[in-house]
Amino acid sequence: MSEPVVEIRNLQYRYRGQKGFALEDVQLSLNRGEFLMLMGPSEAGKSTLAATINGLIPHFHMGKMKGEVVVMGRVTKAYSVAEMAEIVGMVFQDFEAQLFSTNVELEVAFGPENFAVPREEIKVRIDENLNYVGLEGVRNRPPSTLSGGQKQKLAIASVLALKPQVLVMDEPTTDLDPISKMGVFEITHRLCKRDDLTLLIVEHETEEALFADRIALIKDSKLIKVGPTREILSDVDLLESLGVMPLGIPKFFKAVGVSELPLTPDEGVAEFRASGLKINESAYERMITEEKVALKQHTKPLIQSQQLSHTYAGGVEALKAVSLEINQGEMVAIIGQNGSGKTTLAKHFNGLLEPTDGEILVNGIPTRDQGIFKLGQSVGYVFQNPDHQIFSEKVFDEVAFNPRLRNFSEEEVKQRVTEALEAVDLAGQEEEDPFTLTKSGRQRVAVASVLASNPDVLILDEPTTGLDYSEQRSMMNMVRRLNENGSTIIFITHHMWVVAEYAKRAFVMKDGDIILEGTTRDVFSEEEVLRDAFLRPPHFVEFSHRLGYTFLTSEEMIACLEGAYN
Amino acid sequence: MDSEIYIDNNSFIHRLDPRVKIIIFLLTFVAILLFQNPLWMLPITLLILIQLVVSGALANLRRIRYILIVLTVSSMILWNLFSTGETQLFWRITVESMSFAIARTLLMVLMISAGMILITSTRNEELINGMIRLGMPYRVGFAISTALRLVPTIASSTITISQAQRSRGLDLESGNLLDRVKKFMPLLVPVFISTIRSTNIFGMALESKGFGARTDRTFYLVLEMRTTDFIVLAFAIVFMLVSIYFAILGYGQIEGLVRF
Repeated sequence: MSEPVVEIRNLQYRYRGQKGFALEDVQLSLNRGEFLMLMGPSEAGKSTLAATINGLIPHFHMGKMKGEVVVMGRVTKAYSVAEMAEIVGMVFQDFEAQLFSTNVELEVAFGPENFAVPREEIKVRIDENLNYVGLEGVRNRPPSTLSGGQKQKLAIASVLALKPQVLVMDEPTTDLDPISKMGVFEITHRLCKRDDLTLLIVEHETEEALFADRIALIKDSKLIKVGPTREILSDVDLLESLGVMPLGIPKFFKAVGVSELPLTPDEGVAEFRASGLKINESAYERMITEEKVALKQHTKPLIQSQQLSHTYAGGVEALKAVSLEINQGEMVAIIGQNGSGKTTLAKHFNGLLEPTDGEILVNGIPTRDQGIFKLGQSVGYVFQNPDHQIFSEKVFDEVAFNPRLRNFSEEEVKQRVTEALEAVDLAGQEEEDPFTLTKSGRQRVAVASVLASNPDVLILDEPTTGLDYSEQRSMMNMVRRLNENGSTIIFITHHMWVVAEYAKRAFVMKDGDIILEGTTRDVFSEEEVLRDAFLRPPHFVEFSHRLGYTFLTSEEMIACLEGAYN
Repeated sequence: MDSEIYIDNNSFIHRLDPRVKIIIFLLTFVAILLFQNPLWMLPITLLILIQLVVSGALANLRRIRYILIVLTVSSMILWNLFSTGETQLFWRITVESMSFAIARTLLMVLMISAGMILITSTRNEELINGMIRLGMPYRVGFAISTALRLVPTIASSTITISQAQRSRGLDLESGNLLDRVKKFMPLLVPVFISTIRSTNIFGMALESKGFGARTDRTFYLVLEMRTTDFIVLAFAIVFMLVSIYFAILGYGQIEGLVRF
């Protein structure tokens, strides 16, 4: 285990046209068979560092590099990316763009073909690797017909077919839904047991870091700390200060005052039982009652659907007789796998889609009688990817798009834009070019551009995807503030902790139907049903279940504690 | 959303060797160009029609029907304006100019159809493979296939983007022509940006899988000419020779046509 496979020495990198360094003074070495997880906030340099291992930096990207990266004795500067491909495999976040064949088998064959591997041997490698990732059943399908998770698995198989010594994965699960995430993680768990493969994975999911040998934390282009997994994950304060999500269980025990922090639900339960701490039953009951009372304040129905069904032109039944009611002032989450019908459902709320059967009412009027243009005034819809809607050169113009379309006076437009930008904390950035903002900045511009039409309801499709932990928090805090100021909020998300901490009510969808709805606490207490929908509550919620309660955050649990820690 | 051009039908044409299909495609172009008279173009038109039906490429033509209609209308008008003859039909239109316009329009539609048949019935990899075995450099073949691959990517992102902009109040259906052109900006910019972004990743993924690492390369896909391939190829060549023979004899021209 001690033979270094990757050596990074005094690495410094600056992209062309940028003032600051993207990497500074990086020293890192990876041993054979090791699994290193690279974590840090957005723009910290994670992807840049990952791209240096196979030579994409300095060869593909334009910029200035100092220091050196040596992989298996090859100095990356002296080899082309294609030549490095034999020893370093690379899997990217975007599962669409990295596949280019029309057939699963051929996708896997592409790498070995480039290295003139004999045809018979390629056949063996295709069988082997499709088996390994569990795609043997779809070997003759075009990749475009696969689900996101399957595409990512295919990307992994196509890279493994080159028999690399090092596998680098740059946020392989960020764009995936929970079940697909699990599928990809399951593969990485098997990969990290292999002694012949060194793994470097950039990842936001802290719960997955538990499988790593070591964790490297990076911020502002510098490696802050590299250490064994347990040591890094126990340093709750450091993680939080870096904008990396700490695990809920060590966070809770640290607040209670434990010094040897448990990390997993198992360890947490054992520690809690031994600690002499107890949950105050009456405090717990009171919390639940208060929650129910608060929910009863919202009585005016805003969105109602009755037996709403939608069948797409191709015959796919996306929604099957869904009935729901969302009241004014609520903050609800819709969760479920991709393809479960969440987005189809939400697109009915603003009239983008009309029911093929059943009824959907907004403010008591069927949406088909209102039309999307008119509905847009009361129902705002923020799409998942801000880059799918931003087109202006200035933030101001982007946000002013809707009010101008509605022929408001320039004065009124200005006022609306100012208010909207204030709401998303972008006041003063009117003159910026939206494309130079970070992903979270662009996401905020997209939200502001919808807010500018003063909608009563705001629908957000995966508002936290692709953001780091602290950006996710500030995004959701902002959304919560909008809710407190009277907007009704409906959000779709794959991040269970976001649901746990921010939604008051949740709908769980599966196969085009709502299979569970209720207060977030009630929904998360139904572990069986959730598992059936392939959803998994966060570790902390699971830990509280095992103690016989459903706590959504460590703060809640601390508020209900009694007895002293011994 | 399925926006692939290749349609997995496994028809008779799908099963032909890509080399045969590429040769037929090239021969078709020559055959179409041989005659000026639309009547003489009927045989090749019929052959292409049969191929369209058998391969299922009609479904793809239906997707671009608006483009085809615009092309047909404008070509009918233009070629009538830019040519004339002796027998007046009405206004400035003569029998000769009319038949010439029909022939030119047919030529365009047939060329598009021939291309559509090829890419509807041939996988990207088969196409490159066929081109390379016919002597084209690998990189050139790959570039062509990449261009084809981009079409469905752009089509599907356009759909998402237009939904996003319609949700923000963009209304593409009203206003005069200039207004409408302006209204396309909110669609065009994001489509460009997202295409550039994904081609960038595509490039990285390509190199990361060893594209161009060596000068030699194996092909997993094996092409094999079967009896049917030879029969079809022989038929195409005979058809072509007969057509050329008639063309040399001077058949298939329009008497009295004057082009400007």
